[in-house]
Amino acid sequence: MAEQFAVTQVPGRETGEIPPSPLDRDEKTVIIYPLADPLWDIDTLPLTYTNSRWSAFFYRADEKHLRRVLPDCLELEDDIVEYWYVDHNHTMLGPYGEMGVTVAASYKGGDGKTYYAGYYPYMYLTQDAAIDAGRVLGFPKKEAFIRVLEHGGNPDDGYGVYDGKNYQFDYFSFLMIRNGYVLNSVTGKYDDADLSAKPAFYGNTEYGRMNMKVITAPDISNSEWQLVYLPSLVTKDLATAMGRPDTEGSHRFQVKPESIRTASPESFNWFSQATPYDNLGHELPPKEHIGLMTFSFDLIIPAGDVLWTETYTRDATWAGAAKPYRFGLRHRFPKPIGLGA
Amino acid sequence: MAQNVNVTSVPWIDSGDAPPLALDRDKRDIISQGIADPLVDYDIIPLTYTNSRWSAFFYRADEKDLRHVLPKALTLEDDVVEFWYVDHNHTGLGPYGEMGVTISASCKGSDGNTYYAGYYPYMYLTQDTAVFAGREPFGFPKKIAYIVAQEHGGKEDDGYGGFGNDYFNFTMERRGYLLHTATGRYDDAELPAKPAFYGNPAYGRMNLRILTRPTLTETKWEVTYLPSEVTKATAAAMGRPETEGQHRFQLKPESIRTASAGAIRSWALQATPFDNMGEMLPVKELIGLMSYNFDLIIPGAQTIWSQTIERTAEDIGDLLFATPYQYTMRHRFPKPAGV
Repeated sequence: MAEQFAVTQVPGRETGEIPPSPLDRDEKTVIIYPLADPLWDIDTLPLTYTNSRWSAFFYRADEKHLRRVLPDCLELEDDIVEYWYVDHNHTMLGPYGEMGVTVAASYKGGDGKTYYAGYYPYMYLTQDAAIDAGRVLGFPKKEAFIRVLEHGGNPDDGYGVYDGKNYQFDYFSFLMIRNGYVLNSVTGKYDDADLSAKPAFYGNTEYGRMNMKVITAPDISNSEWQLVYLPSLVTKDLATAMGRPDTEGSHRFQVKPESIRTASPESFNWFSQATPYDNLGHELPPKEHIGLMTFSFDLIIPAGDVLWTETYTRDATWAGAAKPYRFGLRHRFPKPIGLGA
Repeated sequence: MAQNVNVTSVPWIDSGDAPPLALDRDKRDIISQGIADPLVDYDIIPLTYTNSRWSAFFYRADEKDLRHVLPKALTLEDDVVEFWYVDHNHTGLGPYGEMGVTISASCKGSDGNTYYAGYYPYMYLTQDTAVFAGREPFGFPKKIAYIVAQEHGGKEDDGYGGFGNDYFNFTMERRGYLLHTATGRYDDAELPAKPAFYGNPAYGRMNLRILTRPTLTETKWEVTYLPSEVTKATAAAMGRPETEGQHRFQLKPESIRTASAGAIRSWALQATPFDNMGEMLPVKELIGLMSYNFDLIIPGAQTIWSQTIERTAEDIGDLLFATPYQYTMRHRFPKPAGV
């Protein structure tokens, strides 16, 4: 005889600790799907991050490579790449690990204004809600296995090493794997060296952040590209919405200077690899390593502005463009045997 | 001294085993962000699945509950829910596990036609490419979860094929919470009922896609529809014109196993702070389980109904930011100390 057990009450709903279901709210508050149970919801907005840990490798890349990964509407501003890992523990989306690449670029707007920003050609995260919330803003996020580790070098009592602001770990290991392939692994020891250069957007409030969002129609007949821009400073509207008017004009990204550790290129081992599923190792190889800078920070991510759009259309003949069953390496490309094969 | 190793060639692009890099192709061939390295690329289209294993629990639910999870454009057609797991091993997206709920519904389309379909209010998968290949163009409501779909035991085998499959175990976890588990043994019983869309080619599949602009000023709702049969265009695109008119979903009758409600030894379904399925669609009467192998093709979808919700700056302030830091259970809601 079957035994059934059903917990039919969502914990925290009746006490107001989680938001009501979108099915029971005004349609204006529905921003993502599933309608019945969104992957992420209004309770995450605006996205806030407290005491995350950022580890940024700086390296020079060939300008030819950098221009190649930029959309046509962007200009390259700097040959220094920020290749970063993040350990997020206190966020609106739950804890997660993240890795990305940022390239200094600019966009000449139709209004004559030039927008400067760090543009993200690559991003990887460890969980779905953060991936999707980012993709809505055009962040090019995929899921990967990511490890961000700092350890050793000093005795500690196991309490409050991070929260107590004792940034005393000397060794580091960063690792990213996707679909079974290692994309990157770096190990080393901080030597707190002065780094010889940093990306153009470091410490420059002129630089916001930019993404290229791609929206494809359900029938695949067209894709709209949208250049999304996030300014670097907290706007008046955002400050008001958070109930913290005092934050207007602050930088959205607040580095804690006391938390900085650095490593010169001689202090780490670096392995990077292009794979059948991820081409980062091919498109942006390091030309010259500059070093690693790790720091803790707070961050707010608001809604974005769309600066530029372009739509690419496909006619009925396009469906054959992918040459079915041709590319046999990346996945299995089965020819369904039940369909008359 | 530091060691620096960079493998800069992408394996097997030169031999044509992997598609050319996105940046070397016509922009029309990019269907997903990031444009330098798409999460979902054109080599997966049309989506094909061969010899997947489907395990569908059938149960009756309260019609009030079923209507509650349907978008307003849809009408309920049946009170039998299909609550299913799938083990996909041979697909254009790589192998993955999947779980979902399908409800019989109809939609009066913008063109005046009535479309019948299985509608998906909930779906969970084990990997990102399949999640976003389903979500972004088509509107499948996919999330990522830990999923086990297991059949085992009942006969001796030598380790090479032909394993026993008398017992089953299905489990799904997300964000540390158990959403569902069911265990039991097949008894190959006749099931007294099945969902209205079983064996009925009039029923396609429907999803609700919800797209919000980065500015949050506008959200578009679209009911997308996949007909049940292979169209001429899809058949031609696959280079297999003989498949036109066949059902996209081909069940292999010889692979069917069933379990009566009494043979399902345990069933636990739980609502969690992150996933409300256990609250929204509780079981009124468990009917049984049907497992079988199948082949499937998923082509592009039609949009049969849409609406656009617009928001003023005041709407955004009132509705989205009105209660910052109020809902404290689902995640940590930090107040950035530095700002």
